[in-house]
Amino acid sequence: MAETVEPGHYSGKRDIRTNAVNYVIELAAIEKAFAGHQVLKKVSLRVKEGEVCSIIGPSGAGKSTLLRCVNLLEQPDGGNMIIAGQYLEAGRSHSRRDLLTLRRNVGMVFQSFNLFPHMTVLDNIVLPQRRVLKCSEEQARTRGKELLERVGLADKADAYPAKISGGQQQRVAIARALALDPKVMLFDEPTSALDPELAQEVLAVMKEVAASGMTMLVVTHEMGFARTIGDHLVVMEDGAIIEQGVPEQVMSDPAEERTRKFLSAVNR
Amino acid sequence: MNTFAFWAKNFPQMLAGLGVSLQLAGLALLFGLPLGLLLALGTGSKLRPVRWLSIALVEIGRGAPALVVLYVVYFGLPLLQWTPEGFVCAVIGLTYTTAAYTSEYIRGGLKAVSPGSIEAAQALAMTPVDVLRFVIVPQGLRVAIPALMGFAIQIFQVTSLAYSITVSELTAVASGISSSSFRALEIFALAGLMYAAITIPASWLTNKVEERITLRQ
Repeated sequence: MAETVEPGHYSGKRDIRTNAVNYVIELAAIEKAFAGHQVLKKVSLRVKEGEVCSIIGPSGAGKSTLLRCVNLLEQPDGGNMIIAGQYLEAGRSHSRRDLLTLRRNVGMVFQSFNLFPHMTVLDNIVLPQRRVLKCSEEQARTRGKELLERVGLADKADAYPAKISGGQQQRVAIARALALDPKVMLFDEPTSALDPELAQEVLAVMKEVAASGMTMLVVTHEMGFARTIGDHLVVMEDGAIIEQGVPEQVMSDPAEERTRKFLSAVNR
Repeated sequence: MNTFAFWAKNFPQMLAGLGVSLQLAGLALLFGLPLGLLLALGTGSKLRPVRWLSIALVEIGRGAPALVVLYVVYFGLPLLQWTPEGFVCAVIGLTYTTAAYTSEYIRGGLKAVSPGSIEAAQALAMTPVDVLRFVIVPQGLRVAIPALMGFAIQIFQVTSLAYSITVSELTAVASGISSSSFRALEIFALAGLMYAAITIPASWLTNKVEERITLRQ
């Protein structure tokens, strides 16, 4: 049976038996208010397995809040979602087990890196493996060193976070999240706190992660990354998605005037 | 007998007193610091009874003079059909004072832990207990270390109050020698020097540690 895919939309990995597209993230009508201010207005979004989805938009659009709802660092007020096969409903209190299962599947990289400052780079990667995956110390260290190699920081294993650059800290943070073998990775403005040169080294690592087939949801101001690495582009404004589609297409010929204005401001 | 000969003659006895003072301070810290950590966590607890009980214990412990606490323990415990010797009472009383004061320093340290690293630990699927144990407490204690070391010096000096409940610590020994020799000024001067011999190097050490911690950040 022939399946239909939206024209021009990256098709993602498919289930071998059913040939259906697998969604790793499905958000339906997610709502969130802070102190009476509606930050997310029934936002729905689907991210396919293996897809790199970038979210752009002006500050205050609700991009980071949306991202933080995915791993429930922020509790949505309304809507529901399926994350890596786990159904979660807003407004319900989630059991600790549900939360841990969700967060096992969802890795997150923060704007401010958020490494554990009192531990060496390697220990930052070892600790969650030991505590969450219950790996042996030796296994965790071996894996940690492999990951540091992968992000090009094998020589910084014994350094403390304060002694390495922001770009290096962010690469460690990516390695730390990857160590738990997540099914999807969230990136919350991963390069916004970095100068352009350091941002490039982080983007190179993200590109490599994307190439490995990782599903990624990325809030970013890096238009180059969204265009070349991203498979799907979402434009948010004032708590809602105003436009989405193939990055190249949205960027060169936006349908919405607001998108056009935002893009011209960013590209200036 | 000149002063130095007088000091030399009484020095062994005084040294034994100093040993008792150090033991009192050491035990008060050994038991008081973990209790202080528990109280610090308790005052931040979401469970209202736990929070209120912790706050009450801290406020009473900080509000009441250490001497009063010692008397309450010394004269109060016998009412509970337990009559421990003065030393044990002193350890109990000083432990409580230590716990109450250090809980405030530790609470301040815990508050200074960057919310980002806590959030990262949560996002890494660490359990709340693990977040506390591996991320919040170690970072918070690090921040609190200079203040805690300063307190350790203070509680060492406060051990002299145990004199009032029959413990033969340094001040008590000096007092005994004073009343048998009538050379109060000299013997208390020696006691002061001996206290200072501990506290002054300890203060230097505190400053060094504080410098190192500041440099790390």
